[in-house]
Amino acid sequence: MIGFLLILFVISMLFASTTGRLEAYVKIFSIQGIIFFLIILTYYSHIPLLDFLLLLIETLLVKTVVIPVILIKVIRKNNIYREVEPYIPNFFSLVISVIIFVFGFILAYLAGQYTQDIRPFYFGISISTIVVGLFIIMSRKKIITHIMGYMFLENGIFLLSLSVAREMPLIVNLGILLDIFIGVFLLVIIYNHINSTFAREKINIDSLSCLKD
Amino acid sequence: MFQSFNLIALLFFLPVIISIILILFRSRLLNVLALFFYSCMFLIIIIRLYIYPQSYTSYFQADSLNIFFLLILGIVFFCVALYNIHYLLRSKASLKQQTIYTILFIFFILSMTAAFLSQHLGLLWVFIEATTLMSAPLINFEKSRSSLEATWKYIFICSIGISLAFVGIILLSISTGEHHSLFFNDLYKNAGSFSLFWLKLSFPFIIIGFGTKMGLAPVHAWLPDAHSEAPSPVSAMLSGTLLNAALFSVLKINKILRLASLYSYSNSLFFIMGFLSVFVSTVFILKAHNYKRMLAYSSIENMGIIMIGLALGGAGAFAAFLHILAHSFSKVLLFLTSGNILHLFKTKEIHKVNGLLKRDRLTGWLWILGFIFIAGFPPGPVFISELLMVKAFLLKKFYLAVVILIFLLTVIIYGLAKAVFNMSFGQDSLQSFSVKVSLLDYLPQIILIILLFVIGCFMPDVIYKLIQNCLMYI
Repeated sequence: MIGFLLILFVISMLFASTTGRLEAYVKIFSIQGIIFFLIILTYYSHIPLLDFLLLLIETLLVKTVVIPVILIKVIRKNNIYREVEPYIPNFFSLVISVIIFVFGFILAYLAGQYTQDIRPFYFGISISTIVVGLFIIMSRKKIITHIMGYMFLENGIFLLSLSVAREMPLIVNLGILLDIFIGVFLLVIIYNHINSTFAREKINIDSLSCLKD
Repeated sequence: MFQSFNLIALLFFLPVIISIILILFRSRLLNVLALFFYSCMFLIIIIRLYIYPQSYTSYFQADSLNIFFLLILGIVFFCVALYNIHYLLRSKASLKQQTIYTILFIFFILSMTAAFLSQHLGLLWVFIEATTLMSAPLINFEKSRSSLEATWKYIFICSIGISLAFVGIILLSISTGEHHSLFFNDLYKNAGSFSLFWLKLSFPFIIIGFGTKMGLAPVHAWLPDAHSEAPSPVSAMLSGTLLNAALFSVLKINKILRLASLYSYSNSLFFIMGFLSVFVSTVFILKAHNYKRMLAYSSIENMGIIMIGLALGGAGAFAAFLHILAHSFSKVLLFLTSGNILHLFKTKEIHKVNGLLKRDRLTGWLWILGFIFIAGFPPGPVFISELLMVKAFLLKKFYLAVVILIFLLTVIIYGLAKAVFNMSFGQDSLQSFSVKVSLLDYLPQIILIILLFVIGCFMPDVIYKLIQNCLMYI
């Protein structure tokens, strides 16, 4: 069951690296929240009730509903629907993402030989998700896409912390704190959008270039 | 009276009380006075903690390493709060903005203090993250287009960095095997039995993560922007204390690697990043057009020197700690003075500032003295630390490395000197001007100069002992 969910997760990440629509990113993010929720459900017998509840709130409420809604609002408010504006064609970013995942699995295979403390499958997928998140940040022009790439990165970290969750519930709680941070982070962004001096321009990374040497 | 009171708890609750008062009674004067009052209380409490170390729950404790950093924070905060009085009073921002600025400033200090005091790895991470959150709106205080850009880069780059540090912490927790606790004491006690593979894998993540916050070379992109666009008191705090907080985290985690006998592995990482930082800052200092950016690159350079010193160990480690102290004080001195220059000339461009000594003699001399201290000329402590570092290099027989380092440092001194002297001397183009500079704009810098002079010339026993205790700890 968990294997199937993780495969779904990988597919969603691959889709994220090819799609051109901004709202598709938000939907992928929401679906990943549900996948996390299902993964945690299969854990239920292993973790304390309080941690379990916190995780439920985080995945089902924050990741699946709250953050996607905020993002959709930002997108609609600023009239930016399509154009992810990648620096490289979508096909190549798909190829690169696949290569990253292959390397992740190789790394996980090697790591699995050193310890029995982790599940290699989890580990490989989460590490490669983090790298794909960084790749999305680097290869897209729009600032809003950078936030999405950052959140995929966060999801990778969340998956990584789940892979040690049975031994270390505290780490999971810290992951939740990280998510609270994203909330604040997004609030700042919205705040900036409203008050910004960039009010009527299309905001991409090229307009943020007055500071350089 | 103090004995029955938990001072760390007082440190934590005072900001909350002050913020409530500031929200209830809004006044410009109250804002600056509250910040100054908190800084005085802070300094007194830290000195008291230094004499009688205390702990507050099992999570917070004053020990021999963090008290060194806390004392630097206390002194720097006191000076900056003093400077802040006149800065905020002459600022044109609305009362609401000033109140938010003051409250965030206090909580920024609080999160750094908590990061220093925390005895748990996870908690340390949480508070380092909090410093980013609290300081980001401070950078955007002047609400210009460029400060917005700097704030964006700061939040984005630092939060990615800190997330990577979290990956490092998770990997470190995998390496602990059956010992689950992430308290530093337990980590140090069990370090011998950790899985070396995971520990080795985690450390690059941790050093890249916290190194981002520290401004080490490949991941320093946010630092010059944020330091140059922030208001001068905030730049001074960022450079003088925030970089130390990130450095402190790296030191704490580095001890685990040392106890697991991975000393040479972490040292080589320190060495590479340190050299790269010095090199990158050399290149950029030479072509800097903005004097605050120039100071920011100098911070990157000094962080690099500190990392090199720590990697060398022995005399080098002593030099590194002395350098932390000296860099904090002299960089705060320079950033606060740069605030005066900005106020006098209304520009950050180096070539538009001429005849600083003519326009305001004292600011000009503070600027030149600050340069003398940061460049490492004899009366200052930077001179001693750099000399010790060269000695440590020679003892380890790294001849080529020391030649390269001295060459890079010389180029940096040339770059700094060219800018500083061009700004200070020459003819003032403007004959009459109406900008006033008050005593409060000089006093903090004078205090710092006296401290630096005393440390450089006499090396008080207190400082020597503090550094020795730190060396015992790491």
